[in-house]
Amino acid sequence: MSADTLNLAAEGGGGLFTPGGPGFEAPSVGIFFPSPWSWGDYSEALPYTSGITKYVILLLVATSLVVFFLWWTSRKLSVVPDRRQSILELVVLFVRDQISRPMIGVKGDKYLPLLVSLFLFIFAMNVMGIIPFLQLPVTSNLSYPAGLALVIYITFITVGIRSQGFTHYFKGAVVPSGAPGWILPLLVPIEILSNFIIRPATHAIRLFATMFAGHLLLATFAAGGWYMFNPAAGPLYGTISVLFSGSALLAFIIFTAFELVIMFLQAFVFTLLAALYIGQAQEAH
Amino acid sequence: MEGSLNVIGYGISVIGAGIGVGIVFGLGMQAIARQPEARGPLQTNIYIGFALIEALALLGFVLAFAI
Repeated sequence: MSADTLNLAAEGGGGLFTPGGPGFEAPSVGIFFPSPWSWGDYSEALPYTSGITKYVILLLVATSLVVFFLWWTSRKLSVVPDRRQSILELVVLFVRDQISRPMIGVKGDKYLPLLVSLFLFIFAMNVMGIIPFLQLPVTSNLSYPAGLALVIYITFITVGIRSQGFTHYFKGAVVPSGAPGWILPLLVPIEILSNFIIRPATHAIRLFATMFAGHLLLATFAAGGWYMFNPAAGPLYGTISVLFSGSALLAFIIFTAFELVIMFLQAFVFTLLAALYIGQAQEAH
Repeated sequence: MEGSLNVIGYGISVIGAGIGVGIVFGLGMQAIARQPEARGPLQTNIYIGFALIEALALLGFVLAFAI
């Protein structure tokens, strides 16, 4: 919720049942473009970049959170786990049994560090959106999921070339086995488009769009509840506006809980699809 | 009448996604009812299917703002 919306709503005159003043300004796409930090004489951003915005700071917070968690839980590793190690084992076994083994098989255990850190990192970046005072999910800007999807794209192509050879991998990826020869001129362009262009794009966009929509929804409930709170509009209308505002607050709380589930689910699905692409690239025909 | 055509487009596009998610969860519930001991793997696949279909609906939502 931008500071401008708050100021406009608090200025004299405006209100839900009070005429005059600006109407309700719904949060727009502008909340996803916070202004970069400027210092002293340098009022512009760093050259060739967007500057140090709230995204960069929260990215550093999420990274340090994940690094600290993984370091703290693996301090004293022993065969019989104590309480801290059990938390780490919970996470690693969850990723191994639900994501890595079903998609890649036992051979895929060497990709487990990548998948575990990917899962924890995306979950930490998503959760930045519901922590109070930090409310901005880092993945709600397309560049962060796009960077991760690019890493997975390069990874699975490299895995495919390494395990199947260059020509064998690309032939196997675009020509499904068992297809009759006459349909290949139609099928091969579709498969190339689907496997190498659309899959990485939707991989990134799925995560971005879900976090974008969720954050916009929470911001709308918060801004709407703030705007509708107008107890000074007389006894009847004041009570009605406080009831409206209370229900907006209730919806905000309920949707925050829902967003937590969605954030976990999207991290899980991103990691699952990454494992699926790596697994499909690795299986030798 | 004012407004944006983007949001109408989003509304039309989400009909398909709504039906799709309904089918996924409905058939998932039927499958769990038939064989309750298969609930674990079924739930994993249900959520995977939900996330994949939801991606298309959310793509429409984001494009309604971007274009």
